[in-house]
Amino acid sequence: MALSFIVIDDSELDCFIARKIVGHADKGLTVKTFQRGNEALDMIRKNMADYAEADMTIILLDLQMPIMNGFEFVEEFEKFAPEARKKFRIVILSSTRNSNDIFRIFTYNTVHSLMEKPLTREKLLSLMQQVGAIRVD
Amino acid sequence: MSEKIKILYVDDEPDNLVGFKASLRLDYHILTAVNIPQAMSCLSNHPDIKIIFCDQRMPATTGVEFFEDIRTSYPLPVRILLTAYTDVESIINAINKGNIFRYVKKPWLESDLVSAIEEAHKYYMVNSMLLIKNDELQKAYNELNKFAYSVSHDIRGPLSGILGAINIAREIDDIEEMKEMLFLMEKSLKKLDAYIISMHDYYTLQRGELKISDISFKDLLEELKPLYNVMSKTNNVAFNISVEQDEVFRSDEVPLKLIFNNLLSNAFKYQDKSRKQKSVDVTVEVKKSVATIHIKDTGIGILGSHIGEIFNLFYRANSQEVGSGFGLYNVKSALLKLNGQIEVNSVMHQGTSFKITIPSI
Repeated sequence: MALSFIVIDDSELDCFIARKIVGHADKGLTVKTFQRGNEALDMIRKNMADYAEADMTIILLDLQMPIMNGFEFVEEFEKFAPEARKKFRIVILSSTRNSNDIFRIFTYNTVHSLMEKPLTREKLLSLMQQVGAIRVD
Repeated sequence: MSEKIKILYVDDEPDNLVGFKASLRLDYHILTAVNIPQAMSCLSNHPDIKIIFCDQRMPATTGVEFFEDIRTSYPLPVRILLTAYTDVESIINAINKGNIFRYVKKPWLESDLVSAIEEAHKYYMVNSMLLIKNDELQKAYNELNKFAYSVSHDIRGPLSGILGAINIAREIDDIEEMKEMLFLMEKSLKKLDAYIISMHDYYTLQRGELKISDISFKDLLEELKPLYNVMSKTNNVAFNISVEQDEVFRSDEVPLKLIFNNLLSNAFKYQDKSRKQKSVDVTVEVKKSVATIHIKDTGIGILGSHIGEIFNLFYRANSQEVGSGFGLYNVKSALLKLNGQIEVNSVMHQGTSFKITIPSI
C-alpha cells in the first residue's frame, strides 16, 4: 500500500512543518501542500483516476482558513463518490479549542480524527499506525 | 428639556379630554383619544409617546383591560390609570399584575397629574436607558465570543506553528532549509504581532474619548507616507497623494490615522502581482467642513459576494496575504466615532476604491 499526504493549511509555516515531518518520517512518502482548500479539491478531482484502489491518502486539514474553511472543504469532499472517498482519510489538524468546532468535526462521517497542532513525528507515526499504514512491532 | 414629553390621554368623556389638555398643554405635548380605536391609531402614529393616561370606566373596554392589551405591543410608554375610589379592587389587581405604573384619583388635582407625569417620565428614561445598555451589553458579549474564538486561531495558531518549527529544527541539518524555516517563523510572528496591535486599536476605539484638534491632511499623509515607501519601491507600486485643503478641519487624529493606515496597507498588500502598472492613489478634498477621501488601488479586487461582509469582525476575503480580520472592522468603528461614511467599489482583477466622507467636528 502506497501512502501519501495532502496538507491543507493557510499558514505557510504549518505547511512547511508538515512537509518536513512527513519527509523525515519516511523519505518515500509524498506530500502535497495547499494553502487553499479549493485548489486541493481541484487537484484531487483532476487526478482521481490516478489514485489506485490499494493506495491511501491522508488529508491533513486545517479548520480556520479564509475563502474555504475546513468544514466547507469536507462538505465539498463528501460530494465525491463513495468508492473515491474510500481512498482518503481526512484528519483535522487544528489549534481550535472551541467545543462547537470539535462537536461539528465529528458530525461528518468522512472525518477520521482530530489532531491538535503542532504536528509532531510522534503524532504522525501514531496516526499512520491507526490507519494501518505501518505495522506495530 | 428641549422637547416636550408626549402624553396620550384616553377617556370617553370629551369634557375630561379638553380639561386635561387645557391644563397641561403648555408644559407637555398632549394627545387625546375618545375611544380605544382612536387611542390605537394614535399609538401607532406616535411611537415616541412616553406616558399614557387612561380612564378606567369606559364603555366596552375598561382602562385596565386596555393597558393589558397594549402591554406587549407597546411596552415602552408608562401606563397611568385615572379612576374614582370605587374601583379600588381593579386598581390593586392592575398594579399587582404590572399593567400600570400608578393611578390618579378622579377628579384630579393638577399637581397630582404633574407629579405623576414627572415620576413616570423618570421611570421611562431609566427603562429606555436600560434597553440601550442591554443592547450594548449584548453587542459586547457577541464580540467577546468572536474574540474568544479567534484567540485559538490567531494567537494559538502562530504559536503552535513556532513550536512545531522548533520541534523539527533538531532534525534539520541543511542551513538553507533552516533559513527558510526561520523566514516562515518570522512571518508567523509578524502576523501575531499585527494581530495584537489591531486588537489594541480595537480597544482604543471602543473606549477612548475623542481628542479634537486641527487636522492638516497634507501633514498627516506626509507622516504616513514613509511607512509605505518600502512597499511601494520593492513591489513597484506607484504611490500618489493629492490633497486639497483650504479650510480648517477639526477631528481626532488617532482614528483618522487608523483609517488611512488600514486602507493603505490593504491597498499595498492586495496588489495584483502579475500586473505591470501598479498604483495606490489617495486624494483628499476638504470642502464645506467635509473631508472626502478616495483611496484607490490596482489590486486583486474583492469578490462581489464578499463585499457585504468585509467590514465584519474577523472576516477575511482573501488568503493571498496575512490578515487579522480586524482591519476594516476597525476602520468602520473609527468612522462611526468620527460620524463618517464609507463606500466601497471593487472590480475583480482591476482594483478596489474606497470613498470616505468625514465631517469636521
